[in-house]
Amino acid sequence: MTRTTPALATLLAATTLLSAPAALAEITLGAVIPLSGSNATPGEDQRRGIEIAVKEINAAGGVLGEPLKVIVEDSAGKPQTAIDAARKLVTVDEVPLVIGSYSSGITLPMGEYLVQEGIPHLNPASTSGLVRNIGDSSFSMVGLDNVSTEFAAKEVIANGWKNVAVLAVNNAFGQGVAQEFQKHLEAMGGGVKTSVLFTGGQPSYRRELQQLEATDPDAYVFTAYGTDAALIMQESFELGLQEDAPWYSILITMMNKDTAPEFKQGLSGMDVGYLGAGGEGYAATYEADYGETFLSAYGGYAHDAVLFAAKAIEKAGSTDKQALLTAIRALGDEGFTGATGEIKLDANGQRMSQPYLKFKVEGNDLVQMD
Amino acid sequence: MSEFLIHVAAVSCLYGILALALNLQMGFSGLVNFGLIALFGCGTYGAAFAHLWGWPPLAGLALGLIFAALMGLFFARLGARMSEDYWGIATLSLAEIMRLVFTNEQALAGGAQGVSGLPVSFAGLAGQGAGLSRLALYAALLAAAFVLCQRITRSGFGMALKMMREEPQLARALGYDLGRMRAIVMVISSLMAAVAGFLYAHYLSFVGPEQLMSHETFLIWSMVIIGGIANNWGVVAGAFLMQFALAYVPFVKDWLDMPSDFVAATRLVIVGGGILAFLIWRPKGLFPERIGGSHG
Repeated sequence: MTRTTPALATLLAATTLLSAPAALAEITLGAVIPLSGSNATPGEDQRRGIEIAVKEINAAGGVLGEPLKVIVEDSAGKPQTAIDAARKLVTVDEVPLVIGSYSSGITLPMGEYLVQEGIPHLNPASTSGLVRNIGDSSFSMVGLDNVSTEFAAKEVIANGWKNVAVLAVNNAFGQGVAQEFQKHLEAMGGGVKTSVLFTGGQPSYRRELQQLEATDPDAYVFTAYGTDAALIMQESFELGLQEDAPWYSILITMMNKDTAPEFKQGLSGMDVGYLGAGGEGYAATYEADYGETFLSAYGGYAHDAVLFAAKAIEKAGSTDKQALLTAIRALGDEGFTGATGEIKLDANGQRMSQPYLKFKVEGNDLVQMD
Repeated sequence: MSEFLIHVAAVSCLYGILALALNLQMGFSGLVNFGLIALFGCGTYGAAFAHLWGWPPLAGLALGLIFAALMGLFFARLGARMSEDYWGIATLSLAEIMRLVFTNEQALAGGAQGVSGLPVSFAGLAGQGAGLSRLALYAALLAAAFVLCQRITRSGFGMALKMMREEPQLARALGYDLGRMRAIVMVISSLMAAVAGFLYAHYLSFVGPEQLMSHETFLIWSMVIIGGIANNWGVVAGAFLMQFALAYVPFVKDWLDMPSDFVAATRLVIVGGGILAFLIWRPKGLFPERIGGSHG
C-alpha cells in the first residue's frame, strides 16, 4: 500500500495541474467530434465550422462580454472514447454545454450520459430517429432521418421511379436511412425491391452491385461516404448499371467530392441544405480560411450549434445549467437563424424543419435544382 | 476533477477483470484467445436483451452468464481438435462472426444502431455517490476475481494448467484430461468476462456491435503483455496503467496546447508501441511470472 499512495497522489496532482483552466475570464464550451477513424473528413469539417463560429463570436465581442472558447475532443469514432471525452469536458473542464458527435451510434450513448449529468447536449449531425429519445436536455440542430428520407422518397416518386433498389452503408446511419426510406416510399405507393447493406472499406463492391442489378429496379437509391461511394460509382459504371437505370444519392455531398466526373454523369440526389438564407457569409469565410469548398454538409451545423449555444448563454445571462436549458428551449421556440437557415425546435428539442436541396451532377460539380 | 478519476478507475476495474480472464486462458493455460471480446459481448448483449424484453437487469446478468458459459465451452471444444495457433485464429473468427451477426440482424438487437437507454447502475444516488458506489462494486468484484485467479493458479489444478501450457504431451501422458481442463478454464474466465460486460453495459447505457471490434481484444492483450503474462498482479497493474494512459492523453494535449488529432495518434502509439516495446525489451512485462512452488 505504501507504494500505491504516492502513485495516487502523483496522479491526482497531475490531473489538477494538467487541467488547470487556461484563463478564468472565458466562456468555455465542449465539443466531441470524430477527428480520427473513418469519419475524420466530416469531423474535420465540423471542426472548421466550430472554429469559424468561435472567430465570428469573438470578433463581435464574445459571449456575456467574455471571449468564447470551444475545447474540441476526438471521439475516434468509438462510443467509449467519446464518453470518456465527454466526461473529461464535464467533470474536469466543467463546460456548461457539450456539442457532438457525428455518427448516431456515438451521439446516442454520449447524449445519454450528458442527460444523466443534466448537461445540455446539442447534436450537430446525427440523423437517426433514435436521437429523439435521448432525453430532456438533448437538442438537435439537424433534422432527423425520418424527415430527410421522406424528402428523398417524394423526389423518387416524383421522378416516376416506382420500384427501386437501395444500397446503404452498414452502420447505424445507413441502416436507419434504409429503413426510414423504405417506410416512406411504401407509404407513398412505391416499393423497395431490395435493400443491400455494404461494409465500408472494401476493395470492390461488384457483388453488392450485381445483387442490386438482379432485381431490375426503376432506379438505384444509395447513400455512401467518400471513397466507398467513389468506388461504387466507378464499378456501377463499369458494370453498365448506370445505363440500365438512373442513380439517386441520399446526402449527395458526402460522396460527390471523391467521385471522378466520368463515373457520375446523370447522377442526382438530395442533401441537407447546408446553407440557408444568411449562409453566404459562412461559405465565403470558409473558403477564405481553408482554400477549398466545404468538405461535407456538416460543418455548417456544427457552426450553428456554437452560435446557438452562444446565443442561449447570452439569453440565460450565465452558464448555469438550469438557466441555460430554459434559454435553449425559449430560443428553440422563437427560432434562431444560422448558416443553415432558421433553427426551430419541437417539443422534443428536435429541429422541426430544415432546408433540403435537390442536386444534379454537372461535370464535377453539384448544381442545385428547384 | 476527482469524478473523472473515479470514472477512469471504475473502467480500469472492469478491464482488470477482463485482463485476469485473458491471463487465466493465455498466461497460465497457454490458450491464445484472440476472441476474448466475444465473451465480454455475451455479457453486454445479455444486458441488452433483458432491457429489450423488459426483464429486470439481473435477469440480463443470468442470461449473459449462460451465453458466456456456452460460448466458453464452444471455444474449448473447438480447441480440442486444433493446435494452439489455429485455435487462436478460430477464436478471432468466432468473435468476428458474433459481431457481424449483431450488425446485420437488425431485428435481433437493433443491428448497427445497437440498444440504447439501458438503466445506469446506481443512477439514483446523488452527487458523487453513484460514481463511488460503482467504483466500490467494481473494485470488490475485481478483488474477488483476483482472489479466485490466485487460488486457481496456486492450486494443484493451476500447476496442471501450467504443465498443459509448457508440455501438453507430458501432461497428457501423466493422465491429465486436457479437454476437461480447457473447458473448466474457459468457462470460469468466460463468466468473468461476461460479468465485466454486463457491468460495462449498465455503465455506458449503450450496447452495440462496434464494441466488439477485434482491436478491443488487442487492447486487453496489451494490458496483459505490458503488465506481465501469467502474473495476476501484473495484468491488473497493466489494465490500470493502460486505461489511465489512454484517458489522460487529452490532458497532455490541453497542457501542451496540441491539436486535437494528437490525441488519436498518441493513443495508437501507446497501444501499438507499448506492445512492441515490451515484446522487444521486456517480454515478461512489468511484473514477470514467478516460477517455482505454490508461492508464485
